[in-house]
Amino acid sequence: MVAATSIKEARLNHLLAGASDEELERLLPDLELVTLKLGKVLYESGEKMDYVYFPTTAIISLLYIMENGSTAEIGVIGNDGLVGIAIFMGGDTTPNRAVVQSAGKTFKIKSELMKDEFTRGGRFHNLCLRYTQALITQISQTAVCNRLHSVDQQLCRWLLLSHDRLPSDRLIMTQDLISNMLGVRREGITHAAKRLQKAGYISYVRGDMTILNRTGLESSVCECYQVVRTEYDRLLA
Amino acid sequence: MSSAKSPTIPNQLLASLPKKEYQALQVHLEEIPLVFEEFLYRPHMVISDVYFPNSGIISLVAGVNERSTLEVGLVGNEGMVGLGVFMGVDTVLNHAVVQGAGSAMKMKATAFRKECNNGGSLMRLLLRYSHSVFTQVTQSAVCNQLHSIDARLSRWLLMTHDRMGDDEFQITQEFLSNMLGVRREGVNKAAGDLQKRELIRYSRGRLTVLDRPGLEAATCGCYQIIKDETSSVHM
Repeated sequence: MVAATSIKEARLNHLLAGASDEELERLLPDLELVTLKLGKVLYESGEKMDYVYFPTTAIISLLYIMENGSTAEIGVIGNDGLVGIAIFMGGDTTPNRAVVQSAGKTFKIKSELMKDEFTRGGRFHNLCLRYTQALITQISQTAVCNRLHSVDQQLCRWLLLSHDRLPSDRLIMTQDLISNMLGVRREGITHAAKRLQKAGYISYVRGDMTILNRTGLESSVCECYQVVRTEYDRLLA
Repeated sequence: MSSAKSPTIPNQLLASLPKKEYQALQVHLEEIPLVFEEFLYRPHMVISDVYFPNSGIISLVAGVNERSTLEVGLVGNEGMVGLGVFMGVDTVLNHAVVQGAGSAMKMKATAFRKECNNGGSLMRLLLRYSHSVFTQVTQSAVCNQLHSIDARLSRWLLMTHDRMGDDEFQITQEFLSNMLGVRREGVNKAAGDLQKRELIRYSRGRLTVLDRPGLEAATCGCYQIIKDETSSVHM
């Protein structure tokens, strides 16, 4: 049965999974499953957002673009959340770029239809608000981490946050994308990745990364990772 | 619909509500003083009250521990403290600490939660305000990572100046260092630079803004982005 399959697929996203049966049935006809390629831009900074995305296997990075073109990652979104919170908060645009950090699938829904469902004010509405709070926590903690911790620790945090949202242990990226994410120069990332590789935690060949020893990464990361993780579990359980 | 907008309601969120909705809230509001360096809430502490400042400033501070902190938001009479309650949570991970003395309207979190769900304009207003807070957190995060200490200090001073309505405020180097995530020497040097350019005067914990346009020229684009987003809430 087509409908049953899509319900199952939709529930791979934690927010859709948390919606009531009635809400999900209402949303389902308007949810379209699409495959996203690495590096695809879902929206540009300041651009009107036509769709809201609920990733299932893809990971999206929210990047900030500076006047001089340099970028910094402010948050990462996977099957734990949604891309486009500005839509239901009443802002049509947002000053950041959303770019695919790991190829995969996502559901998308027209912004207007998302707004309609949100406005109904049920369980899904409350979940979206709690998610927004969790995302703000992630962004705040990322800010603290990027300001105060070593590149090695930041890379560990970033790898663990990504791994939590990945369907496998393998993350395919370009080196440029990785350095964009952390707002650190390429050489800085390359050195940090080499050290993690030497420790046997990851294998890393030109942006193709495999996580070999998650426990090792957890032992090297700063507390920022756990802070964010715990908050997500608490708010979205 | 007549709005509550009047000079007698100093908090801009409350002032943006339709008169009827404001009156419904009013019975729950209690005016309290905001005392310098007082904590309104701490991480993991249940938020029992929310605050709508009339005057003064509250810093929202994220951190790793007491010594490693970073300011992620500033709230004055344009906003409220305790937005997490609106988001449906009862504890959050940051501190809210009074950075500039003043006064606020305090409201019980339980009563506030009930009013939010009444389906009136309060919900819409708070959503818009949440978006502006989201922008502020994001923009400060990026600014703290990528911009010079001078530019960041200027942004921080301008944001504070906007909310204090006074050219002079009390501030320690240690506080600035915690807010900007920079060591004291760094703060000291940046404040020295701004002083040499005659934009501010800083001595013994008193800071005076001397040349606001000069500070605006010294800061990065982040200040204006945050300001525009914040003022769009009350339109």
